[in-house]
Amino acid sequence: MFRFILNRFGQSIILMFIVTVITFFLINLAPGGPTGVMRMDASPEERQAIVERLGLDEPVLVRYVQWVGNAVQGDLGTSFNSSEAVVDRIADRLPYTIELTVFTIIFSVIAGIILGVISALKRGKAADHVINFSSVIGLSVPSFWLGLMLILLFSVELGWLPSSGVGPRGADFDFAGWASHLAMPVLILSTTVLPNIVRFTRSSMLEVLSQNYIRTARSKGAKEFIVLYVHSLRNALIPIISIIGVLIPRLLSGAVITEAIFGWTGIGTLIIEAANGRDYPLIMGITVVITLVVIVSNLLVDIIYSQVDPRVKNMA
Amino acid sequence: MIKKWWLLLTVTFIALFLAACSYGGDEEADGAESGSDSSSGEAATGGSVSIPIVADPTFNPWHPNAYAESNVINRVIFDGLTKPGKDLIPSPDLAESWETSEDGLTWTFNLRDDVTWHDGEAFTADDVAFTFNEITLNEELGANSASYFGQVENVEVVDEHTVQFNLSSPVAALPAYLSFNTEIIPEHIFQGEDPWNLTSFNKENPVGTGPFKVKSYTSGQSVVLERYDDYFGDTAKLDEVEYKILPDANTHVAQLLSGELSIFALDDTSAVERIESAEGVDVNGRDTNRFFWLIVNQQQERFQDVKVRQAMEYALDRQNIIDTVLQGYGTIANAGITPALSEYYTDDVKQYEFDPEQAKTLLAEAGWEDTDGDGFVDKDGENFEIVFDIGIQGDLEAIAQLVQQYLIDVGIDVQLNTMDWNTMIDKVVIQRDYAMTLNWWRYPPDPDLKAYMHSDFADQGNNIPAYRSEEMDRLLDAGAETSDVEERKEIYDEAQKLMAEELPYMFLWYPQEVQVKRSNISGVPELAFGDTLHYIQEWYMEN
Repeated sequence: MFRFILNRFGQSIILMFIVTVITFFLINLAPGGPTGVMRMDASPEERQAIVERLGLDEPVLVRYVQWVGNAVQGDLGTSFNSSEAVVDRIADRLPYTIELTVFTIIFSVIAGIILGVISALKRGKAADHVINFSSVIGLSVPSFWLGLMLILLFSVELGWLPSSGVGPRGADFDFAGWASHLAMPVLILSTTVLPNIVRFTRSSMLEVLSQNYIRTARSKGAKEFIVLYVHSLRNALIPIISIIGVLIPRLLSGAVITEAIFGWTGIGTLIIEAANGRDYPLIMGITVVITLVVIVSNLLVDIIYSQVDPRVKNMA
Repeated sequence: MIKKWWLLLTVTFIALFLAACSYGGDEEADGAESGSDSSSGEAATGGSVSIPIVADPTFNPWHPNAYAESNVINRVIFDGLTKPGKDLIPSPDLAESWETSEDGLTWTFNLRDDVTWHDGEAFTADDVAFTFNEITLNEELGANSASYFGQVENVEVVDEHTVQFNLSSPVAALPAYLSFNTEIIPEHIFQGEDPWNLTSFNKENPVGTGPFKVKSYTSGQSVVLERYDDYFGDTAKLDEVEYKILPDANTHVAQLLSGELSIFALDDTSAVERIESAEGVDVNGRDTNRFFWLIVNQQQERFQDVKVRQAMEYALDRQNIIDTVLQGYGTIANAGITPALSEYYTDDVKQYEFDPEQAKTLLAEAGWEDTDGDGFVDKDGENFEIVFDIGIQGDLEAIAQLVQQYLIDVGIDVQLNTMDWNTMIDKVVIQRDYAMTLNWWRYPPDPDLKAYMHSDFADQGNNIPAYRSEEMDRLLDAGAETSDVEERKEIYDEAQKLMAEELPYMFLWYPQEVQVKRSNISGVPELAFGDTLHYIQEWYMEN
């Protein structure tokens, strides 16, 4: 296990290096520049002053080396567009994205497994078709559209839920306000992963149900309830753990759109702001953090997986 | 159990579908009665309003990263020497009165003596001198709006409540420039600090002189201002002003309809119809100091012929674009001075009615005719091909598509090339690597359009079309240096005639701002949204 983690750690460093090189050169070589420089009404002198201030008159390669030098010491630089430390800006926002994605995973896993099991058990019947159809809809309808429709329905027409924001925090925190702000974003973000979990559970469940040990269990007279929920479901769930690892990057990219629609102040809205404003240090900082999150979460999923399923224990 | 599940799902989908269908349809009263009952409409103190902004603000009007989202806050927490009057003529703010010397080279401003900063310190002439000498005129800083003060040599403290601006050449528009995002910041806080990196001020806790001060700020969420009781003017009637950080324009509309937002200028007019039919919301068109334009790069020889530019102007059915894309909120422009500047605006200039035949005639006179019958005009064997660069923002792309079609109709082969805003600025404004583009200018409430049309700024600066005319230079110079209003009127009358004749820009229209507001907020002057904020202390909630 130790060797496995060490190995993965080495791979992660190489991956991180590649990701930062690609991102740094892509954003720096793209046309345009930091918003302070790219103002419609700025005079050439104003532009020149800002370019020099931000050090953008240095070659890209030099700037990358400087950036890496600082980054390995934990200094991700200062945001071009707000003059605040990148680390602080990310630390302000990351908890909100984690909150949103964690609740989305919990909701999607619970709802996905329930719907997937129903779908498998009622194979070919109406319930199965409705769930399948809904999954396809959920996968294919763009989440920004669905999000706007939810706002129109629940906020504008019915007035049940707030249309945006994260709700009162700190001293003013109240559970109902928090839950009502979280409801729609979680629902919308779950459309990016829920259908996969449903379909994966369904096929996994169907596969397990056709296994010999299920027939054995039935033939020795075990109750149907026990057969389904103890023998079948437990084994069917093992592959689900691995798919969660695959879905985390998708969840993070889905969070960008979801956060923008619902004014959820996480990393998603921050990265839009950074990209639109060509805030190079902020883009790089967010890239590093998101890459780290993906690497660590995948590592965790692999470790859990190897613990749950003895067959993959020696995969290191 | 299972039946319930799919029943629920089906119901949800039907509900969503119905919601989608009813979008844009009739709007029923949706709990908006709270404020629309105006029979008991009397002024009351208290209450708060909510205003949307699209990004985190910077509480420093001179900071190169302070854009529109910051301006709407900064003009409430800070004050300038002047502010736009309700007729847009500069009126007193921190300065009570001002006068210019005979030769126009010095301006003296008499400051109020009863102004305090939000931290209790007294406001004095030193603050004004510091703001201009150390921030605005410090070329290394690249401060916002610094270009308006290029002719200011320095600002001198005459006594504790008097300052003098020393100029290298006369600037008649100085009081107008001083009313436009050029608020005064406190010397006692910025002295000896790097003004752009002082985040404790710029990002956390600014100290101004305005009617409201910052109560709290949460990045990505909101800025809450509370009334400043020692404000030098009439104390504000509202308790609080909240700016909600909401990047998505659709959310603005939804929150306006649900009553969570109070007032703002609608960027995307496609939602106008829906808002107009909603209860409890007022929609008003307001004149602004903006004009839309189509330009061709006059560094290219083919665009130096005025007949080509006139032909393009005739080719466009501008009224149709105004009616369809702008939902009627705009009036046709034939010169650059806007009707909002009622003192100087004239419509007694050459008019370009939609006339494709006239356009073709003018093109033919310029040597562009369709000799090979392919539908496009040509000259010396080359078709008239233009790549039309457009930055994606608001209605620009929709407008550009119509313009493209109108130009194709008269035989000009126009290809649209859309790009993100930032890229467009780099390509068009900085590199000047373009043939045709469409955009707009917003400028301070003064008719001085030198920056946009004078040949001094043709190679770099804001004369993006690179228009050069000695006659225009002469008029713009004269207007910029003359303080006498009657004399200026004559000069700018002539300048507007020349603009319409020569089309340095192909003027499109003066857009009206679509201002949306919950009906229960009163006391908002009939001005563009940005200008109403100078009068936010007069706003109140109706009971």
